[in-house]
Amino acid sequence: MTKMSFTIFYLSRESNDWKKRNVYNVGNESIQGVDEMAVLVARKIRKTYGKRTLKQEVIKGIDLEVHEGEFVGIMGPSGSGKTTLLNVLCSIDFPTEGIVEINGKPLKKMKERDLAKFRREHLGFIFQEYNLLDTLTVKENILLPLSISKVPKKVAEKRLAMLVEYLGIADILNKYPNEISGGQKQRTSAARALIAEPSIVFADEPTGALDSKAATALLANLENINKERGATIMMVTHDPVAASFCSRVLFLKDGQIYTELYKGDKTRQAFFQDILNTQKVLGGDGYDIN
Amino acid sequence: MTLTSLVLRSMKKNVKHYYLYFFALIFSVTLCFSFVTIQYNPSVIEALEASGTATAGFESITYVLYFILIFFILYANQIFMKRRSKEIGLYQLIGMTKGFVFRLLLIENVVLFSLAAGIGMVLGFVASRFFAMILMKLMKNDAIVSLSFSMMAFSKSLIIFALLLAVVMIQIFIMIRKASLLSLFNAEKKADERVKKFSPFHMMMGIVGICLIAYGYYDSTRLFSVEGATTNNLLVNMLLILGSSILGTYLFFRYSVALIMNLIRKSKKGYLKITDVLGVTTIMHRMKGNASSLTLITVLTGLAVGIMTLSYISYYSSEADAKRLSPFDYILFDNKGIEFLNQLEAEGIEYEKTTFHLSMVNVKMSDLFNLDEKDAGYININQDAISPVVPLSDYKAINPEARLNDGETIITSYVDILSELLPLESGKKIRIHAGEKNYSLFIKDVREDEFFLSVLASASSPVLIVTDELFDEIQKNQNPEISTQIGINLVNEKDHEKAETLYKNLRERKIIEYDYQKTYKEYYDGNIALNGMTIFVTGFLGMAFLLTTGSILYFKQMGEAEDERESYTILRKIGFSNGELMRGIYVKQLFNFGMPLMIGLLHSYFAVKSGWWLFGSEMVTPMIIIILFYVSMYMVFGILSVFYYKKIVKEAL
Ligand SMILES: Nc1ncnc2c1ncn2[C@@H]1O[C@H](COP(=O)(O)OP(=O)(O)OP(=O)(O)O)[C@@H](O)[C@H]1O
Ligand SMILES: [Mg+2]
Repeated sequence: MTKMSFTIFYLSRESNDWKKRNVYNVGNESIQGVDEMAVLVARKIRKTYGKRTLKQEVIKGIDLEVHEGEFVGIMGPSGSGKTTLLNVLCSIDFPTEGIVEINGKPLKKMKERDLAKFRREHLGFIFQEYNLLDTLTVKENILLPLSISKVPKKVAEKRLAMLVEYLGIADILNKYPNEISGGQKQRTSAARALIAEPSIVFADEPTGALDSKAATALLANLENINKERGATIMMVTHDPVAASFCSRVLFLKDGQIYTELYKGDKTRQAFFQDILNTQKVLGGDGYDIN
Repeated sequence: MTLTSLVLRSMKKNVKHYYLYFFALIFSVTLCFSFVTIQYNPSVIEALEASGTATAGFESITYVLYFILIFFILYANQIFMKRRSKEIGLYQLIGMTKGFVFRLLLIENVVLFSLAAGIGMVLGFVASRFFAMILMKLMKNDAIVSLSFSMMAFSKSLIIFALLLAVVMIQIFIMIRKASLLSLFNAEKKADERVKKFSPFHMMMGIVGICLIAYGYYDSTRLFSVEGATTNNLLVNMLLILGSSILGTYLFFRYSVALIMNLIRKSKKGYLKITDVLGVTTIMHRMKGNASSLTLITVLTGLAVGIMTLSYISYYSSEADAKRLSPFDYILFDNKGIEFLNQLEAEGIEYEKTTFHLSMVNVKMSDLFNLDEKDAGYININQDAISPVVPLSDYKAINPEARLNDGETIITSYVDILSELLPLESGKKIRIHAGEKNYSLFIKDVREDEFFLSVLASASSPVLIVTDELFDEIQKNQNPEISTQIGINLVNEKDHEKAETLYKNLRERKIIEYDYQKTYKEYYDGNIALNGMTIFVTGFLGMAFLLTTGSILYFKQMGEAEDERESYTILRKIGFSNGELMRGIYVKQLFNFGMPLMIGLLHSYFAVKSGWWLFGSEMVTPMIIIILFYVSMYMVFGILSVFYYKKIVKEAL
């Protein structure tokens, strides 16, 4: 795959200074205009855990860009740093080095309070487990991100109705999390992640705790929302089937991007085969090929 | 792995949990040991003997203290064990027998108890001097308190502590025996079962709870009224009030709170604020598990504040009470011991002298109290009350403004237990008779806070002021036991000591009218010693209540914070800041600490209000002081728990 890169200079809104930004465009995708900004840009990300003596570099310099409407999957062996990367990208954690920008906003400079607000308004999250507050009903859980926002109730109500329709959870709105199934829980999380119409949704193994049927349903929902509503999604997964729903899959190995695959016009089946093949090429270091 | 190495390892790992339990243990030993040591402190014993105050109060309170501490330790141990249930389950899962686990915990507890006993006794020993000093200060005794170790106190405390260890081990034994593996793994979750739906039954119980509390309060206001006291048995009534307020409190916490919270929540139609999420909904869901402990804390708070306030009222009223018994520094009757005045002059002691002539008349009770026979119950209104009369010209020394026409009277010095029950009204007629003669007098005025006759002269009856003419007439027909009272006040404070000796000398030589006639200072000292000891003992008890309830709340909140850690993680991740989460937690803490405190204070307010006048003459100031003191101490625990939450929230992401 050919990668073509060029550099633009732009006036940073925050620092009021000229900054360099690399824009990567990839051959078999439609050419991105220079003015069309990526939703998420990560530059030279490094993440080191531990103190001086027991230093462990988990992310070893990653450059990454996600465009609007993309559904990006991240795959890699256990311990390769997928969760770490995601946490760094979504502002839950900070990189030791490097810059993350979302909607052109560098996260590093923000204060905790602004960062929280930013997350609430611009980002959506689905985690593997412990997604919902069990003292709240499904509806209350979904509406949580709107609790301080200025979205009018009418609009919120409309969004809610549409989302629960898409996700097929309309009739469990008044139940508590301990009264619904794991798949329903994850779909509830998806609804919560989308209710504030975020610029990008981050999902860390959202299907990890589901059986294949529930997982497929959730993924189909996500794909649907990605295609029809243009939601940008970034998902970490172990599962090649799950990854085959994505439009692009990044392969992580030893804290670096090993390679990436584009779905393009391929069918899901064909893309799934590609993913399996890539995993094989990557070798048997911890990949669970099933 | 040997048993001991396993114990050591698990203790090391559990230090985080242990320190709490350990603190509770040390705290208990300190309180217990210092309280027992005080009773054996020679300076204290001397002071108590000198004032003629019995140590019986001390001893009975000691048992109450033991009881509180045992309860507290059992509670702390229960919380502690619940948190470790997973670990205990794990031991069994890898094949240890229950007996082995029990032995493991036994060793742990013996180590903990021994350490706590050692540290606690050292602390308690030091604290005992401090407490003894407070006691002496309260009794206004200047004696210097020495630090003295009592073998008796030591062995007593050791026995109690050994007993405590045994009880705790029994508790652990039962817990281990009862617990299945599954329940051990779920103990943390099971503890606070969650309410789901609200049935009409819950709603009704919620309303019943509030009604019961209201009834208890209402009933308490009439507990000591004449109607209340006569239509019902006092004791039955008291138990009724107690029962209905405690049950009401429980139902309030168990149902009413959830009911109210659910209404608030329903009104938001799904759009919850972060304060609702962390305040309203968590409180609501935890009420089932928390209701009984919150009730207990409420009741203990009410009890503690109640008894402390009542004993502070007594203490606060020591001076006023002494003044009522002996309105002047020294009092002489019928000129007996009049040489006291000469002796004072000889010593160059300045004094002021007020003389009252007095006589006795019979007053019809039914006239005084405006009661018919049915209402009066145990008061026989057909009886005559015997009241002293004082001529207006003498009374002017007290109230220079007083004026009387023929056939008028002023009733004064009427504050007593009866005055609350049966207030006197001015503007009506009363019939009195002296010897064979009857008079009808119009009550011009009723003055309550005015005392000038010694209790020996007035027998605590209200005093009638009459015109000088009428007094002379009465005097002729009546031959009272005491016909004059001379009140002597010293001008200079410094002369008191000398005057006191002179007076006592005369009294010993039986020159004073009654050999049991006390001076103002003797009354005052006696009151202060007795009330000082009482307030010390009840204050100590109140502190024990406060510290135990506060600690229990704090422990519980620590547990809740741990349980909710995951929720905080989720909330922080999806974009709520530290500060926003803390705001919700403040609401929750305000509720958890504020509610039992407020209701407890309300309980104690009504309890104290119903009968405070049995204890003294001033309610508001002592009550406010005690409440301020209690609330500020209590707040420390609230603040501690907020800090704990702060830590957890901060770590959540
Ligand atoms: N908080 C932390 N402190 C120290 N090391 C950490 C921390 N979090 C993760 N690591 C280490 O970083 C490495 C990558 O962890 P990460 O969770 O990102 O892996 P992953 O790819 O998500 O694995 P999995 O597929 O099992 O979830 C691991 O070796 C882990 O031990
Ligand atoms: Mg992971």
